[in-house]
Amino acid sequence: MDENMLCTKTHEYVLEKDGNYEVGITDYAINQLGDIVFLELPDIGSEFTKGEVFATIESVKAASEIYMPISGKVIEINEEIVNSPELLNDESYENKWFIKIESDGDQVELADLLDYSDYREEVE
Amino acid sequence: MTKQTFLHEKHIELGAKMVDFAGWNMPVQYTSIIEEHKTVRENVGLFDVSHMGELIVYGEDALPFLNKLVPQDISKLVDKKAIYCQLPNKNGGLIDDLIIYKLEDNKYLIIANASRVDEDLNWMTRNKLGFNAEIDNISHKYSLIAVQGPKACDLIMSIGENYLPPFFSIKRSELFNINLWISRTGYTGEDGVEIMVKNEFAEYLWDKLLEAGKQYGIKPIGLGARDTLRLEAALHLYGNDLDENTTPIEAGLSWSVSKTKEEDYNGKEVIMEQLKNGGKKNLIGFKMLDKSIARHEYDVYSNGEKIGIVTSGGVSPTRGDNIGLAYIYSPLDKFPVGSTIQIMIREKLHDAEIVKKPFVAKRNKV
Repeated sequence: MDENMLCTKTHEYVLEKDGNYEVGITDYAINQLGDIVFLELPDIGSEFTKGEVFATIESVKAASEIYMPISGKVIEINEEIVNSPELLNDESYENKWFIKIESDGDQVELADLLDYSDYREEVE
Repeated sequence: MTKQTFLHEKHIELGAKMVDFAGWNMPVQYTSIIEEHKTVRENVGLFDVSHMGELIVYGEDALPFLNKLVPQDISKLVDKKAIYCQLPNKNGGLIDDLIIYKLEDNKYLIIANASRVDEDLNWMTRNKLGFNAEIDNISHKYSLIAVQGPKACDLIMSIGENYLPPFFSIKRSELFNINLWISRTGYTGEDGVEIMVKNEFAEYLWDKLLEAGKQYGIKPIGLGARDTLRLEAALHLYGNDLDENTTPIEAGLSWSVSKTKEEDYNGKEVIMEQLKNGGKKNLIGFKMLDKSIARHEYDVYSNGEKIGIVTSGGVSPTRGDNIGLAYIYSPLDKFPVGSTIQIMIREKLHDAEIVKKPFVAKRNKV
């Protein structure tokens, strides 16, 4: 995992990339979920505020909602993992981001999030 | 206080993810539910099902007492044979579903669901008045280990068992110099056995089975795969597909209701009436027509109207699609196999098709 990512206590992360942000869930969350069998992502262009549900992920056992770590507008979705959600369980696969968003990078929202190392401490 | 089985330390050593289920701390998976599921369909899997309840009913009225409790005719049961049945209340609703073994005259073994043992004991005790019979709850003395899969019987034969009991039978036996009971039963749709052994030998037997099973590709299997396996075989799960407001007829279990039994039993009037005229609802099997997954308690629709509820739903690792069981509040002929229904998933309707049960052909009948 990229050490620069910022995480929520509900296991989402956000990572700044070229002025935009990648959003996904942490390796810890994927491990807890087990075999992932379904992923539902929003349409490109949809807008969400921080804390809103933007996606649903399902493991064999259950469905879980995924919350926006910061506010923003969806500019790209990861079609590859929608078509093959089991890639999320594949340790050799790297492109595990769910969506890319455009965000004004609100400092208050970002300040709410945990550094990856603090997050690991929090969940372990 | 959550209970632990006598194999708890083994599960931790094997790296299992543990969850609480029916008051027990149990392994839900060791590596991956899908991998474990495939192991049982292709080779052989080892399950700790010690959370299940074991009751002995004995005494000179053991037979008439059991016959008062269940819709099956227990007098038809011969020594060492087992029968699947249910424990209805006075309205025909199900307190539990059970397997009853006749061990010998006047002595029966009952395997009950972990979550229902206390209710079962309560109900049985209340019904015991006037019968010269005793109920002995031996659940805390015995562990139950299931060995399931197409190679399960080869494995058991390879460790010195020269004659396996036929399907739905039990025998007293000895493996690795341990006295135990072997029954040809399971909850996966595969051939295999369930072994009842005194707690103090459970760990030793578990290790020996894992070791001897290596050449057959054995793996330990958690409750997660146990659930996907039983769903593919369309085997009911108490609490999901069966409860006190569901009769055996509604649950599609008419085959397990005696049509000729003369003795009265709890719920007989309702059950016999429904056998003739049908129940208020009917359990159907369905497959999703898109990639979405139906889950327990999702609503079922047809023509914009709510017609039922999903009781079990999930992925089918064997078929590669998503399947489920649902109660439809209509006669079955209105929703025959092949008809389309909708499942409400996160406020959207998704098409599903009614299909024949089981979803995956059973391979356990010899």
